[in-house]
Amino acid sequence: MARTWRRTTVLVIGALAFLFPFYYMIVGSLQQRSDTSVGGALPHPGNLSLHNYSQINAAISLGQTLLNSIVFTAGVVLGTVVFGVLAGYALAQLHYRGRGTLFAAMLLLQVIPFQLLIIPLYVQIVRGYGLADSYLGMILPFAINSTAVFVFRQYFLQVPADLFDAARIDGASELRILRSVALPLVRPALLTATLMTFIGPWNEFLWPFLVTKQHDKQPLAVALANYISTTAASATNPYGAILAGAVVLAAPAVALFIAFQRHFVSTDLGSGVKG
Amino acid sequence: MRSRIQLAAVTILTLTATVACGGSGTSPSSGEAATARGPINIWYSNNAQEVAWGKQMVEAWNSAHPTESVSAQEIPAGQTSEAVISASITAGNAPCLIYNTSPAAVPNFQAQGGLVSLGDFPDGASYIGTRTGGTAEQYKSPDGTFYQLPWKSNPVMIFYNKAVFTKAGISTTDPPLSSYEDFLATAKKLVSSGAAKYAIYPSPSSQFFQPWFDFYPMYAAESGGKQLVENKKATFDSDAGKAVAGFWQQLYAQNLAGKEAYTGDSFADGTAAMASVGPWAIAAYKGKVDWGVASVPTRAGGSGDQAATFSDAKNVAMYTACKNRGTAWDFLKFSTSAEQDGKLLEMTGQMPLRQNLEQQYAAYFTANPQYKTFAAKTAHVVEVPNVPASVEMWQAFRDAWSKSVIFGKEAPDKALSEAAAKINGLVK
Amino acid sequence: MTRRRAAAGTFGRQPVGLLLSAPYAVFIVAVFAYPLGLAVWMSFHTYIFTAPGVSVPRPFVGFDNYTAVLSDPAVRQAFLNILIFLVLNVPLTVVLSLALATALNAAIPFRTFFRVSYYVPYVTASVAVVGVWLFLFGSGGLVNHALGAAAPSPSWLINEGWAMPSIAIYVTWKQLGFFILLYLAALQNVPKELYEAAAVDGASKWRSFLAVTVPGVRPATTLVTLLAIITGANLFTEPYLLTNGGGPNGRSASPVLLMYQRGVEQGHPDVAAAIGVLLVVGVLLIAGLQRILDRD
Repeated sequence: MARTWRRTTVLVIGALAFLFPFYYMIVGSLQQRSDTSVGGALPHPGNLSLHNYSQINAAISLGQTLLNSIVFTAGVVLGTVVFGVLAGYALAQLHYRGRGTLFAAMLLLQVIPFQLLIIPLYVQIVRGYGLADSYLGMILPFAINSTAVFVFRQYFLQVPADLFDAARIDGASELRILRSVALPLVRPALLTATLMTFIGPWNEFLWPFLVTKQHDKQPLAVALANYISTTAASATNPYGAILAGAVVLAAPAVALFIAFQRHFVSTDLGSGVKG
Repeated sequence: MRSRIQLAAVTILTLTATVACGGSGTSPSSGEAATARGPINIWYSNNAQEVAWGKQMVEAWNSAHPTESVSAQEIPAGQTSEAVISASITAGNAPCLIYNTSPAAVPNFQAQGGLVSLGDFPDGASYIGTRTGGTAEQYKSPDGTFYQLPWKSNPVMIFYNKAVFTKAGISTTDPPLSSYEDFLATAKKLVSSGAAKYAIYPSPSSQFFQPWFDFYPMYAAESGGKQLVENKKATFDSDAGKAVAGFWQQLYAQNLAGKEAYTGDSFADGTAAMASVGPWAIAAYKGKVDWGVASVPTRAGGSGDQAATFSDAKNVAMYTACKNRGTAWDFLKFSTSAEQDGKLLEMTGQMPLRQNLEQQYAAYFTANPQYKTFAAKTAHVVEVPNVPASVEMWQAFRDAWSKSVIFGKEAPDKALSEAAAKINGLVK
Repeated sequence: MTRRRAAAGTFGRQPVGLLLSAPYAVFIVAVFAYPLGLAVWMSFHTYIFTAPGVSVPRPFVGFDNYTAVLSDPAVRQAFLNILIFLVLNVPLTVVLSLALATALNAAIPFRTFFRVSYYVPYVTASVAVVGVWLFLFGSGGLVNHALGAAAPSPSWLINEGWAMPSIAIYVTWKQLGFFILLYLAALQNVPKELYEAAAVDGASKWRSFLAVTVPGVRPATTLVTLLAIITGANLFTEPYLLTNGGGPNGRSASPVLLMYQRGVEQGHPDVAAAIGVLLVVGVLLIAGLQRILDRD
């Protein structure tokens, strides 16, 4: 009993430590006048208003930018979940020629800083493929997230090979094995990778900003960054405006997580091989 | 194993071949393009007031020139815009005109082959000279031609918070800020009286352009209008430069200026009693701070209105990806005409780099006296030197400044000498 | 069945693997081959980006860019900074995220709330969160108020010794949610029977953690360690936001920051590419080292 209480206390302290900055962000975003003192951490009823949010709403077209963000992010998530899973599975459980090279390439891609590639990548996509000012141009460099492929591979590795051998003996094709045997067992990993793949393009500013100048194609992160760099200076509470923007950007990601996290439950892996 | 090596070798060779062949496509040749006419594309800053000005200007042109329509897009001002412009030069899809070209970036863009020489147009140099006067000379490239049109400036001055000054018991009509001694004493009084946390709080960031708001305005004033580098030699390793560095070092050492990152605007928040900014800030601080303005201090004080300062100019450049340069040049002249410059002044409060500014728009300045001080300053602005490796030069300066003046790890005199030696090597 | 076995020699045992990984392979080549190749090529030449049709001399200079970069004290300091960062961040990340994931896996009250609270920093933009940290760790901030005389002077973020460690702690905190998730996912696949068997054998919670959990999530530990190393080596925004770029005396500059300064701002992509290649080599070495140690 004592141990459970101790653990809960530690968790609570930890949770508070993690939540405090976010709480402070929300309080700050609701402040009409900026209050950077220690006392400002507590919400003052007289200083609270949704003013910062309404200013954002007035400055950027929330509907259009949200749509663009969704298209961009959905494209990336789709590409990663479909092709990345296939590649991850192949890298983990199948033996074929070129597997090592592909694995090395995947690792290499993750290690390379984006800033090194950005201008040649831009030239490639815009001049080489003519994709300026398009959703495809935005999506392409992120289409299959290499970190996600790595994650998929690691989790497919955790599945015992006996399960697959059993299925192969039963005459199932590789694709069938993937779909019916492997995927259900790594569902939490799939969700983790999907959530992670979602965050990248959702928060991504530099690439969409480079690729498209058209207002009607800019995703939310870019619109908010533009708003912060210009209008915010003349807003009543500039820092509050930044915080409000960040809250707006973070809210869908948090909501998604809340929705998905219930799938992180045990899959009773052991029972698959018995008998 | 051997086959894997073979595969790797083939891949590397193919990649190298692709790269070595380079990209395809060419820019229009300057001769024919200089007279070509047709629709053009422009970019301007996404600052709300400039956008408003830009839109009305484009509409006015488009209604008069239906076959040479102008389409405009916004790009944010700031350091990211340089990356965007550089990338679009490389990709060949830069617009005809960018109303947001930083003079410090011009040498790089020129080296990339991205800028059109305005001397290609028969009235290029003469138009610029007539509009801007003597100040225009600073904007010529080392080869003597204009690759940018000096457009607008935001002369940097000292804004002070009248409420904070009153609280500290300092006069708000004639605050003692003109000499270093006076400025330091005022700063001490402001902080020790508790009226503000810091006297002044320029961003201590190590980005290459930060010296433009702490060192450079005061250096311009103290040295009588010298640029950082003149005739391929650093000028700041001098009495004037050392005086400015010593002054700022005092401010930092006595904690009168902040050394940490600050989110938000320290002047607007009341954290700092003063700020060194240009007239664009008037709109930003309206209703938030009751401000007054003074010239940047000099060591002896007393030069007041005649003292030079940093221009913080933003210019317009024409880019080589432009096909219809004839239209672009005419549009450029239209957008910097007396009428449009007047509208720019009215709508944004920024100073067009036009000679006899006060006289030309006397009505405006009578109606808006708070801008008058800035208008007078435009005749005395100093620009960043137009030299190759200009960004690298400013970065070297900032690194030395950061180390010695802000963090006190080295004597400023020594740091400035080292920086000067390094910079001499860069700009030769 | 027999047909597949016969093809084992040329394409491997399960050639369908080629098919499954083909889209990913094509993607890599189509999108990244040119930029990567150019980056490596640039590092061996004098190179600037030019407008189409403009030709400038781009002579081959061998290892000149590399020697210039390695003899630059600012670059050496940046690599040292990242090493300090990794030494702090990676072990802390692995240990904390496994511990928290184990705790969050149990059936505790308000489990969802806890899981969400640890995840939230990961999804919020650094630009906003950093202000909070400045509020906490600034020279007049909460932490210094609490510490009183024990507060370091100069304060954390402008202190040569504390700047990078402060950033390391910040980044650990911010990324923890993601790594907790990775471990949570791995924990689902550790068979319950093993815990039951350990309990039957009379093992304490701590012992079963060491004997069952830790080995059971081995692949995840490799993943977390590698990912932490990779993202740590690519550190860029946090030094900018927390310590104004290079920090006191360049003590919090990161290699990627220098790459951005020299490559994008100053127009020297050749030098930036040399730093980039060195960074990649360094990370691969560290990652390789970790794999070897792991195997033992």
